[in-house]
Amino acid sequence: MADTPIPLEVRNIHKSFGDNHVLKGLSLEARKGDVITLIGSSGSGKSTFLRCMNLLEQPDSGDIIVHGEPITFKQTRHGYEPSDWKQVVRMRAKLSMVFQNFNLWSHMTLLENVIEAPIQVLGKPKAVAVQHAMELLDRVGLAERAHYYPAQMSGGQQQRGAIARALAMDPEVMLFDEPTSALDPELVGDVLKVMRDLAEEGRTMIVVTHEMAFAHDVSSQVIYLHQGEVEEAGPPDQVLGNPSSPRLKQFLAPNR
Amino acid sequence: MTDLMQYGPRLFEGAMLTIAVALLSLLLSLLLGLLTASAKMSRNRLIHGIATLYTTIIRGVPDLVMMFLLFFGAQIGLNMITDLLYELYGWDLYIEINSFVAGVVTIGLIFGAYMGETFRGAFLAVDRGQIEAGRAYGMNHGQVFRRIRFPQMMRHALPGLSNNWMVLLKTTALVSVIGLTDMVRVAEEASKQTDQPFLFLGIVALVYLAIASVSEWGFSRLQERYDTGFVGGED
Repeated sequence: MADTPIPLEVRNIHKSFGDNHVLKGLSLEARKGDVITLIGSSGSGKSTFLRCMNLLEQPDSGDIIVHGEPITFKQTRHGYEPSDWKQVVRMRAKLSMVFQNFNLWSHMTLLENVIEAPIQVLGKPKAVAVQHAMELLDRVGLAERAHYYPAQMSGGQQQRGAIARALAMDPEVMLFDEPTSALDPELVGDVLKVMRDLAEEGRTMIVVTHEMAFAHDVSSQVIYLHQGEVEEAGPPDQVLGNPSSPRLKQFLAPNR
Repeated sequence: MTDLMQYGPRLFEGAMLTIAVALLSLLLSLLLGLLTASAKMSRNRLIHGIATLYTTIIRGVPDLVMMFLLFFGAQIGLNMITDLLYELYGWDLYIEINSFVAGVVTIGLIFGAYMGETFRGAFLAVDRGQIEAGRAYGMNHGQVFRRIRFPQMMRHALPGLSNNWMVLLKTTALVSVIGLTDMVRVAEEASKQTDQPFLFLGIVALVYLAIASVSEWGFSRLQERYDTGFVGGED
């Protein structure tokens, strides 16, 4: 473990939309096997923070270091931008994202979705990608749906398929952006179960979620954000079990 | 019947010319349309401005006027340049604008503007999340375009493209004004010579209709292909 680079480190991220300062210097360090959950009410900046990590959202300042390699930025007239988009593309291939609205490519079958990036981005041979994809689909319980289109599957199935798509990249870190928020309540359990298994096998994960029981059971660290700042952070027993901030107490109240 | 036999081969040649002009200008207009749509979605003001100027001019000037302007206007312009070169350097050049090329370029330019609007609307109709997923998985711009944006855009664009193509097809009749012998021109001549306008114009109408029907069939196949995955049911 001594010299393995840290999978993902972000430091002092600032972001504004117009006059609205949504991220006020957020930092985070995901070591191998960490499961970090970001909680907070809507508007706290948790999703924006997550989206800054793979640069789907451009931060106004801050550092992002993936597997020991810092992303280089420069100031342009459009603002703070990566100076080498090839580096960003390379970095994104190491961070798979699972979206709230699944975002499986709707013109491709589930199997095609899972093999797409491994073939296009990682340059895997098709046969290898297909074999790996089928193993992953089997793992999330969707092997028999491989040739279905996303529109023919339930939300829960789509999200499990999206997790298989993320796993197919053999990512350093998996980013989950409210993965169960768009699901019917009875479908949430299946998705959370898959995520629990991933956490148990030592995947490095950063999860934006409203599922407090999940956050409590699997997290190595819970970060509570309020208006773009860390209000409280620490191990789940402390943050969720014995919160000190009155705001966090109030935020957690309905879950008790 | 003898009249038909007599003009048959020329009508056939005219029809081939119509099809050639139509297909080549379709190709040009699709390329221009994609370029225009990208330009209009660009955040570079100059590129955006050029594309807007182009579509504004094309949509505001009648097709016939455009055809004359490009054919005669460009010829006059070219003559002025070659004259000047002769006077200045003694180079003796004469470049004649080929009416086939002029016809294809004019129709391509006109419909490029319409295709551009169709493509732009279709690109904007693609769900942002689909594109973000591509970017989040490390695809570069080209891959996102080729694998996600383009195929998903086509589904929205096809009804408009098909409509533009039908209008384009009929617009090819304009090339007769710059001296090309397309099928309308042959029919007109034949009608005058034989006094049987309905026979020849009727045939021309049927040929247009046949091309249109085949195209419609083709477009609905394409639509099926690009609708895959979007409508319920198997495939």
